[in-house]
Amino acid sequence: MVPCRLKLFALAALTLTLLGGLGSADPASAQVKIGVLMPLSGKGASYGAHQQVAIKMFQDKGEALKLVIYDTRGENTDAINLTRKLIGSDHVVAIVGPLFSGESEVSFPVAVQGKTPIITPTSAKPGIAAANRPWAFRNALTSDKLDGALVDRWLAANPGIKKVVILVDTKDAVSKSDGSIVLPAALKERGIAILDSISFQTGDIDYSAQVTKAKSWNPDGLVVAALYNEGANVVRELRKQGLAQPIVAGLGIMDPRFIELAGPAAEGVMTVNDFWTDNPDPAVAKWVAEYKQRSPTPPSNAAALMYDTLDIVRACAEKSGLSGKPDDLEKDRERMRDCLAKVKDYKAPVTGNTTFNGEGDALRQPVVLVVRKGKFESVR
Amino acid sequence: MLLQQLVNGLMLGSTYSLIAIGYALIFGVLGLVHLAHGEVFMMGALIGLQIVLWMKAGPVVALVGALLGTAVLGVLIELIAFRPIRARNGPIFAPMVSTIGVGLILQEVATKAFGGEQVGFPHRLEPVTWRLGPVTISSVQLLILGTSLVLMLALHLWVTRTRMGMAMRASAESTLTARLLGISTDRVILVTFAVASALAGAAGVLVGLSFNAISPFMGIDMGVKGLAIMLLGGLGNIYGAMVGGLLLGAIEVLSVAYLASSYRDAFVFGVMILILLFRPQGLFGVGRVDR
Repeated sequence: MVPCRLKLFALAALTLTLLGGLGSADPASAQVKIGVLMPLSGKGASYGAHQQVAIKMFQDKGEALKLVIYDTRGENTDAINLTRKLIGSDHVVAIVGPLFSGESEVSFPVAVQGKTPIITPTSAKPGIAAANRPWAFRNALTSDKLDGALVDRWLAANPGIKKVVILVDTKDAVSKSDGSIVLPAALKERGIAILDSISFQTGDIDYSAQVTKAKSWNPDGLVVAALYNEGANVVRELRKQGLAQPIVAGLGIMDPRFIELAGPAAEGVMTVNDFWTDNPDPAVAKWVAEYKQRSPTPPSNAAALMYDTLDIVRACAEKSGLSGKPDDLEKDRERMRDCLAKVKDYKAPVTGNTTFNGEGDALRQPVVLVVRKGKFESVR
Repeated sequence: MLLQQLVNGLMLGSTYSLIAIGYALIFGVLGLVHLAHGEVFMMGALIGLQIVLWMKAGPVVALVGALLGTAVLGVLIELIAFRPIRARNGPIFAPMVSTIGVGLILQEVATKAFGGEQVGFPHRLEPVTWRLGPVTISSVQLLILGTSLVLMLALHLWVTRTRMGMAMRASAESTLTARLLGISTDRVILVTFAVASALAGAAGVLVGLSFNAISPFMGIDMGVKGLAIMLLGGLGNIYGAMVGGLLLGAIEVLSVAYLASSYRDAFVFGVMILILLFRPQGLFGVGRVDR
């Protein structure tokens, strides 16, 4: 019974493989298979929901790419396993994702080992792509390319600031690097004293103790490095305990939910990014309008970067003439990698001129933003 | 700063107390741990939030609604997950395992119904704050403290002064003897579940109001902490749970203020282990396990 069943199974598998092979032999219908990793539940589910809308928009524009999408729940272990799965059993040509720096840090080496190009649309902790050459890329500006401009603008708008307290999420990779390395360096360079660096952790609910501690230092300004949920509640608690000082926040808070959760407390908070919803640029405005037709909330940068990353991957797949055949998988992966490495002044549909530098990181013009009347606005 | 930190700790601790009391009540009567209690707390927060969103009601209506809603939920849990197993004389730990199932089901249902995202109460409920010298106190904090104290006092009076409370204490002493004396222990258990769950529901709304972080997963950590506090206070001892909650809240806040927040939980549970090493029966436990 068992061997018989096995034989049947083998036969079925063989037929399927043959059929699959025949299907993709037709050049007109050859699709390039791309894996996508993003958080659809758990930590960062809001980012993921935005990216999902962007993916739908991208897919409606054409079917050049066949996407295999997995939910990482924002967890490092899931990101590793799913990266392995995409490379080993789904045989994708390239992977778009994962979203968080913590996830990227651990799944990039897996992709390098599997000789598969991987490109995160969002992770911003410096040095992650550089450590995983030549297969890892990022279509995101690392925070060290953003924070200098941010601190400059913040100090220009609030010239009285001489000493600050930093509140940092030490459990989230990009917030930790932002709040304990990148932002402090940028502040010290400009002669600002850091009185204290107070930590909390992703998922905490009570920030009263940290805020009371911050208050006791009597700083001129406050620096928050966190993701949108925690960032919003920290800002809310700061205002609740009567700290009215100017607040500057790392790029992790950049999501419409930050304003939704923090409410009036979000007013005046400054941050930095390369995409913002109310950008008057006609191409961006058109994209945002189209996005808003599909979603009740305006797009976040996670959505814009996902859209652009898919577009870059599509352009590369077309330009380097990938075959999409299973036999050519290794060659396709190499060609995709070589094309990504050469991306220069590419006109990305939403975030504009994009170049990948020698470390695999994107170069673009950052914009400093401030929350005014419940919206992110660019600081002119 | 110390004074303000103690106030912070008192606020956090009083919500811990409300959750821990629920564990203690149920443990007292059944000798079992209700592992979905954290999820009942979460449902309380979600019910309160829905009432505010749909009825445009204020925090007090939300609180009352959550109290009633979770009381019903608690009764259902007893009827569905505890009683049938007890009636069939299942192994002693079987009902506990079935509450793990209840907790997971509640989490999934809440995720499907309301999404996995963290949400907060609308900003029109934003608290008013007062400054009293070095200390800042908000209206929500007063509501938390007031509600917790009133509920704890009501519980104390109910347990000590009413016939039902007396029946509950008798059942806690020995279910068999209580039944022989003509007490309907099944009814006592049902009421205990209702009261315990209502307290957790109230705690859910209070935590939601003050920390603005309501999600289907908010009950996991709180559940573990409540359980630990019950153990710290003395198994099944409701006064131990009250004091234990306040104590743990204060320790937690002070550890953040004077040590590092990364060690917040490690420190809290470290202190707990230390106390239990010296007083294995818990702070308020008597020589033998006091139920």
